[in-house]
Amino acid sequence: MARVLMSILPGSSVKREDHDDDYSVDYSFAIEYSGPALSHDIPQVVPVDVRLIPTAAVAARAATVSNLSLPVIQPIVKKSDLGKSGNHGRVYSRKPEDFYHRDGAQSSSSSGTLGFSDGHCDSNQLSCSSDIEDLDDDNKACVSYNENNSNSKSSNLNQDVQDSADEVSNQINNRTSVVTFRDISDSTSEESEESHHDEHAMIPEKPMVLDDVKKGVCYKCRKRNRFGEKEVCIVCGAKYCRKCVIRAMGAMPEGRKCITCIGFGIDESRRGSLGKCSRMLKKLFTDDVVKQIMSFEVSCGVNQLPPHRICVNGKPLSIEELVVLQSCSNPPKKLKPGKYWYDKVAGFWGKDGEKPSQIISAQLAVGNQIRQEASNGNTNVMINSRVITTPEFWMLKLAGIDCEGSPHFWVTADGSYQLEGMNYVMGKLWEKKLLRLVCAALSLPFPSDATNPDGEDVDKERDKVNLKNLEQKMMNKLLLIGCDQSGTSTIYKQARILYKVPFSEDEKQDLKIMIQRNLYRYIGILLEARERFKEDHAIELRRRYINEPGPSDISNLVDENNIYSFSPRLEHFSSWLLQLMISGNLEAIFPAATRENSPLVEELWKDKGFQAIYKRRNELHTLPKVANYFLDRAAEISRVDYEPSEMDILYAEGIRSSNGVASMEFSFLKSSQAEYMESVDQNDTSVSYQLIRVHASSLGENLKWLEMFEDVDIVLFCVSLTDYDEYYEEINGKRTNKMSLSKKLFEGIVSHPTFSEKHFLLILNKFDLLEEKIEQAPLTQCDWFQDFNPVISRYPNNASNNSNPTLAQRAFHYVAVKFKRLFESITGRKLFVSRATGLEADSVDKALGYGKEILKWDYERNTFSMNEWSSESIEPSTSV
Amino acid sequence: MTCAFSPSGQSVACGGLDSMCSIFNLNSPTDRDGNLPLSRTLSGHKGYVSSCQYVPDEDTHLITASGDQTCVLWDITTGLRTSVFGGEFQSGHTADVLSVSINGSNSRMFVSGSCDSTARLWDTRVASRAVRTFHGHEGDVNTVKFFPDGNRFGTGSDDGTCRLFDIRTGHLLQEYSQPHGDNEEVPHVTSIAFSISGRLLFAGYTNGDCYVWDTLLAQVVLNLGTLQNSHNGRISCLGLSADGSALCTGSSDTNLKIWAFGGHRRVI
Repeated sequence: MARVLMSILPGSSVKREDHDDDYSVDYSFAIEYSGPALSHDIPQVVPVDVRLIPTAAVAARAATVSNLSLPVIQPIVKKSDLGKSGNHGRVYSRKPEDFYHRDGAQSSSSSGTLGFSDGHCDSNQLSCSSDIEDLDDDNKACVSYNENNSNSKSSNLNQDVQDSADEVSNQINNRTSVVTFRDISDSTSEESEESHHDEHAMIPEKPMVLDDVKKGVCYKCRKRNRFGEKEVCIVCGAKYCRKCVIRAMGAMPEGRKCITCIGFGIDESRRGSLGKCSRMLKKLFTDDVVKQIMSFEVSCGVNQLPPHRICVNGKPLSIEELVVLQSCSNPPKKLKPGKYWYDKVAGFWGKDGEKPSQIISAQLAVGNQIRQEASNGNTNVMINSRVITTPEFWMLKLAGIDCEGSPHFWVTADGSYQLEGMNYVMGKLWEKKLLRLVCAALSLPFPSDATNPDGEDVDKERDKVNLKNLEQKMMNKLLLIGCDQSGTSTIYKQARILYKVPFSEDEKQDLKIMIQRNLYRYIGILLEARERFKEDHAIELRRRYINEPGPSDISNLVDENNIYSFSPRLEHFSSWLLQLMISGNLEAIFPAATRENSPLVEELWKDKGFQAIYKRRNELHTLPKVANYFLDRAAEISRVDYEPSEMDILYAEGIRSSNGVASMEFSFLKSSQAEYMESVDQNDTSVSYQLIRVHASSLGENLKWLEMFEDVDIVLFCVSLTDYDEYYEEINGKRTNKMSLSKKLFEGIVSHPTFSEKHFLLILNKFDLLEEKIEQAPLTQCDWFQDFNPVISRYPNNASNNSNPTLAQRAFHYVAVKFKRLFESITGRKLFVSRATGLEADSVDKALGYGKEILKWDYERNTFSMNEWSSESIEPSTSV
Repeated sequence: MTCAFSPSGQSVACGGLDSMCSIFNLNSPTDRDGNLPLSRTLSGHKGYVSSCQYVPDEDTHLITASGDQTCVLWDITTGLRTSVFGGEFQSGHTADVLSVSINGSNSRMFVSGSCDSTARLWDTRVASRAVRTFHGHEGDVNTVKFFPDGNRFGTGSDDGTCRLFDIRTGHLLQEYSQPHGDNEEVPHVTSIAFSISGRLLFAGYTNGDCYVWDTLLAQVVLNLGTLQNSHNGRISCLGLSADGSALCTGSSDTNLKIWAFGGHRRVI
């Protein structure tokens, strides 16, 4: 009957039947009222929730009453037939001294809410509750952990209770339900003990031992195969057979953990097996996958030693201290959570109340000062203000050191010892004969050869630690972006040459093709111009002819016309090239057609007519400035065996023919730093930077793909200073000022939500060209720069003086301010501006270096509080 | 930005901001770092490669869409372009092409969606002009997908709507949009997929929603974004397994999630 009812009832599921013992439940339920609305209030009976009745605390399964100092009423074993809700929780705990108590006040809020607050007795052990098996009728998230007291860690436990509950309930179904509760009043008394833990970010632990599962049985499929290899979860210790391990552990993002254990700290007893997997796993996956999983397991933050559980000289460690401790040259072996004492001067290291177990690096800024009774010695002889133990006393005696009269020794890391208060080194302890033997006999530590005796090395070590951290953290990404022709590619290539990231053969080949193709394009532009010149010339001649009619003029006309005329062969080539340009097939044909055309180009170049056009190249606005550089060497470049030099690459337009994203990794050169950076860090060269150069067109319309660069650290926005009087002509003939285009792109990027928190460095490029240009074309040609009216110096000859900046410099400052104001109006932050000339290596280095400084400054500001802290703690150790 | 399996499952093509489409052969041995060597690069696009798809039942042909306003049919064995759709020809897209989808029942036909807010239908034999241009969207067409029967295709756009077009008549058959307030920002549709039967349309949005639309009734059957354990960030892509039993969504919250009827599994 009960089963039938159960299947009718909503929320009940069949699976519950197989793990609950008996269903002698008296169900009394009514059908929900679905008629018309009632005009009067229905008298309601507030249901009595069984769990609201303050029940007695149930003792832990393994805990005996004598273990508790708390007033605990003996267990009431609740059965599911106590009430219709039949709710009870199961808490499995590994350690008997961990207790959980149910908070009655909290659970009164709603039916089906179980309030848990985790407390613990042992101040070292941070206990957290584990799985809860929930057997409520309506099991829709009816279990929730409540943070009762100031314990913030319990929030970490809000994991998928349902999942784990199901799993656990499947695994253990024949156990009697055991719930441990504790009285409310006791938890408050515990708070003082545990309060000092709260300052640390806690990694939750998941103590869970399923010890009733028989040996040799897989925890998931429950099949027995005693000799089959199994993989063990490093958190809960569950063992899985070959077939189940993937299902139970999933993709193993934190190493070998059950899916439900992910995010939990590992079982300390299994720390030794970190990174060492069974043969089974190796068979199951390929080597690479196993390697990857093991590296996850070792490096994953959750799997690291919880620093707050290691107490050195009575002080729980912080993360930084643990890093210092573990990364010193001579770290403590097999570090496990626990209490240790550490002699900072000599490097002695041992468990609290025990003799030294090891000699580690001295002078580490770890923990508090050592206490006298740290090693629980009773010999009245002190070394570095610690009373030494009997074995140590024997060691001193055997080493021939006079220990009469309970002397106080001062031993440094290199073993030189002296009496306290005496500035006289009595000898070196570790150089004593036979001491190594004695130490071995007394099982005392002997310093390893790698011990660093002096404190300077320790500083270096610390730097190394920092450096390691930085390396992990710092792969700074610089995004270089700008409009067409703004010189981003030049800066990119310049940086590449500057920071010695060579171009590969493929890239060189690509560049070569690109340069050659561009050359043909330049020639094409010149030839196009020739047609125009020829026509103009003819018109002019005709006009002259009309003005001055005479028989001699006809021959003159022919001569004049000849200036721009070619031989028939070249004429043919010219028309063919122009045809190609018009149809837009230049790029499709040119890499292949270079070979047969190179002699023609040479001939063309030598042709008088072509040279005549070339002389008038300044009239051609479509011809880029760099064209001169290549056209001068047209014959050389068009050859098949042409190899582009670094200079050629630098001057070439673009980086790749495809115009896609280009990126390079580099690190700044040390020498270049020293010039304008006083505090050069040692790790400067090791921090790597990535310069990503993106063409504006590859960001798509409306900057659609800008989101892809969300992880960049700084945006270098490049604007060509000469843009102000240049125009971009669209296909439909609409002319737009290039500076306005740059401004628009800048606005778009700056206001993009992806980059709202990013730093921006504006690189105003092509300063050299501005200097040439500004004399001829005033800056006010651009609408945006209308109000540029610099005070013109009365002594223009002195313009080169420092006190009297040139017009170009003023223009640069003016443009910079314009952009800064624009930036501030959008973001309210400061825009960094740098001046550059793409073709000059120094200026590019300076601009990128400035970008680096911004990042560094930002990083330092972020870590300022940490630095302040660490400098304090480091101070006493270095002053010793 | 995009990747695709070949029909035989032996190779993978991917393209992105480097303006190239790279082909990897899954059977080739890995190098020391465990990376697959590149088996071929298809270069020729002058803009980013936004989308690629293998021609059904042919491992040697691939269609890519690019930010240079063109689509290209490639011959992988030679690495050369077989035909270029759009670009210099007037009937092509006038802005970045964002997506292509090849007709499953007639692999000569494919559609492309573009930033010019149109979708175009192409015949691979006629590269010179689009067979048909589908107007209607008011924003970039981010994604196009052929309906399983091959006579219709769906689109997803920045205007927040999905539409279903008929390729034979050129008519708009259905529009899938949620009402939004005036000042509310409309979430863009980033990716769509049809169920095997075509009855359901899955659409991922930039606000993290993932609607399951009833294709015929244009009603929301389910919103995966409101479910427990849904994505935190925008849904950037989604796809159905070949047998139609599971849906995978990718999101900018760095998770991939696999959804199946009656439950879901999370993959990290």
